[in-house]
Amino acid sequence: MASVVQLPIVPPPLPAGWTPPQGSGKSTAPLVERKLLPVGEAYLAHVRRAVHKLTFEEHDK
Amino acid sequence: MAQPNGTAEAPIEVSSLPTVVGINFGNSYASIAVLTKEGSADCIANEDGERQIACAISFHGEELYIGNQAKHQLVKNSQNTITGFRNLLGKKFSEIPANTLSVSAPVIQHPEVADEPAYKVKVLQASPSPLPRTATNTPAASAAVTPRSEPVQVERVLTVSEVTTIFLQSLIKSAEDFLGKKVQGAVISVPSWFEPVQKDALEKAASDAGITVLQLLEEAGAAAVTTTSGPQPEGLSADRTQLLVDLGASALSLSLLSIRHGLVHSLATLSDHSVGGDALDDKLIKHFAKEFTKKTKVPLTVCPATDTQDKRAEAKLRLALEHTKRTISASPGAATCSVESLKDGIDFTGTITRLRFDMEVRAIYDRVYEKVKELVSAAGLDLYDVDEIVYVGGSASLPGLDETLSQGFPETIVTPFTQGTVVGGGIGDPTTILSRGCALQARILAQLAEGTEEEREVKASFTHGHQYTQAKVTSKTVGFLFPEENAESALGGQWIPAVIKETPVPARRIIAFDVDLGEGEGEKRVGFEVWEAHEGVKIEKVKLPKLEDEEPVEGEEEEEEEEEEVKEKTVEKENLLASLSFVAKQATKKKGARWTTRLEVTTIVDENGALEISAAEIGASGKGEKTTVTVAAA
Ligand SMILES: Nc1ncnc2c1ncn2[C@@H]1O[C@H](COP(=O)(O)OP(=O)(O)OP(=O)(O)O)[C@@H](O)[C@H]1O
Ligand SMILES: [Mg+2]
Repeated sequence: MASVVQLPIVPPPLPAGWTPPQGSGKSTAPLVERKLLPVGEAYLAHVRRAVHKLTFEEHDK
Repeated sequence: MAQPNGTAEAPIEVSSLPTVVGINFGNSYASIAVLTKEGSADCIANEDGERQIACAISFHGEELYIGNQAKHQLVKNSQNTITGFRNLLGKKFSEIPANTLSVSAPVIQHPEVADEPAYKVKVLQASPSPLPRTATNTPAASAAVTPRSEPVQVERVLTVSEVTTIFLQSLIKSAEDFLGKKVQGAVISVPSWFEPVQKDALEKAASDAGITVLQLLEEAGAAAVTTTSGPQPEGLSADRTQLLVDLGASALSLSLLSIRHGLVHSLATLSDHSVGGDALDDKLIKHFAKEFTKKTKVPLTVCPATDTQDKRAEAKLRLALEHTKRTISASPGAATCSVESLKDGIDFTGTITRLRFDMEVRAIYDRVYEKVKELVSAAGLDLYDVDEIVYVGGSASLPGLDETLSQGFPETIVTPFTQGTVVGGGIGDPTTILSRGCALQARILAQLAEGTEEEREVKASFTHGHQYTQAKVTSKTVGFLFPEENAESALGGQWIPAVIKETPVPARRIIAFDVDLGEGEGEKRVGFEVWEAHEGVKIEKVKLPKLEDEEPVEGEEEEEEEEEEVKEKTVEKENLLASLSFVAKQATKKKGARWTTRLEVTTIVDENGALEISAAEIGASGKGEKTTVTVAAA
């Protein structure tokens, strides 16, 4: 199941005349390699999604 | 006799799942945990009422003692008592340092197997029955039963593996007695420095003991399972940085873990063999020996002791301290250390307050703190980047250690001491955390199916070094900036982190919150920018008025400066990736209040690092239309 984190934060209203800035066309920062500890339910879910080639949404079902 | 460290109480309600257990197999102590009906894990006591079971076996005449009873044999029967065997698993005789000071049966070269470490003990064995008679050439049989002759003393040679098998067998037997059922599988903890040969040796010893090993689990992993299962402590996010402090008997081992919605990887590790329970004992033994001499005028030289009598006295004090240290951990009052006939037939009872105790062992606490700082800076982080401290190992039960460490961390730091979950077998109890983690992991593994190719692949992913443990993680925190008119912050609005750095991909985070839309009537827009940000810690030096003079510790640390560091977490915008904007259709207004709408924002990072962010309003009529932006991967 998808877990939704409920935040207590309430962002303020937009400034008058605000227009959404264009993204700078940049891409996301590069990923780096790490080694997961093969433990817990989250690791199991992570592997299951990879092995069965499921998206998060498909895996929710 | 020292008191047992637990009680054999009425069995808890036991789970109906496959009968699996978790075993924490330390070099000094082991513990066993079983699963409860509710799905949690509980550490159980053996038939002697012990939860921390000394890793010791001792031969005494025809008897074999295992656990704390065996440890007590170290005083008078040390030559036939075996301890410290776990760390020798998988080692060749020639790899074991010759000068390893041993208080127990020495490690010898096996008489028959080349380069194999072994122990030689003296045991009493029932003398063999007379040889079977051959059909010919024998005198007529007497009808009388041959009386059992006196047992004879023989020498028995045991390999490290055989000792481990005997010990593990007794642990499993304790579990089976408790459960009333055969144990079908076990997860056993191993230290992070165990090489494949050591793991193989342990696996073999366990299988010789009839144990099906589901997984050999690294200690840090076992602790992480415990701390990410079940209800999470107040004030902790599912995305956090956790510091594991394992202070056992012979060593300190530290791990800095990135925990991201239950996925765990290590950012840095460090170990130090100069501190631990043994080092604490050395300090306290000296303290009590001095007190003994002061009271009785009987000289006693310990740590190191050379004289046989002094050696024995030291061994007795060491055993008695187990109780003293546990009392100090469990209650704020004073603790005693009592030894019958410590030396020259004179009994000794000493008392120590927590304050005095902490003073005696201050240097060790400080050493741990130094190492913690070293670890965190090796990971390129600041103590203020750590959200949680988790303690593992018997010596980490001491509140003085937490007090020493906490001073360097933010006030919001979550530790089992701030949560009050250490004493009384609470979820933060450092002495049971590993066995419980192993049991929880055993439950996960026992439920895995093996019917299809895919299912077998999933199962295999839990083996050491499997390809699925190789992961890619994000290197920058991605978050949302809600711009604000005349914002006070340098950022120019409200910052909400969505996917923090060091998150393994693919990842998904869903957050929900209200957005203030102002008081005006007309059209209401929601809009925010998506940024990569740099999170840091700002350090300012603030001059402080001089503190009241505190008790100085002899030449330990340099005089503290009069300046104090004041730290603050910071966020700086680095890269604008995208922005989102749409008209709010589900805004509501409570009487006399402002317009608000509830947003749900889903962020997905795919396996290449590409981002997809979609936001939707959540109103009375359910989830509204989604607005989505994407950002390509590098
Ligand atoms: N409640 C307690 N308070 C203080 N010290 C304790 C407590 N319980 C156990 N100890 C001490 O902790 C040490 C044992 O810790 P632990 O069981 O974690 O060691 P281990 O993992 O077997 O050994 P190591 O990791 O050093 O190889 C011993 O020195 C013991 O005296
Ligand atoms: Mg240990």
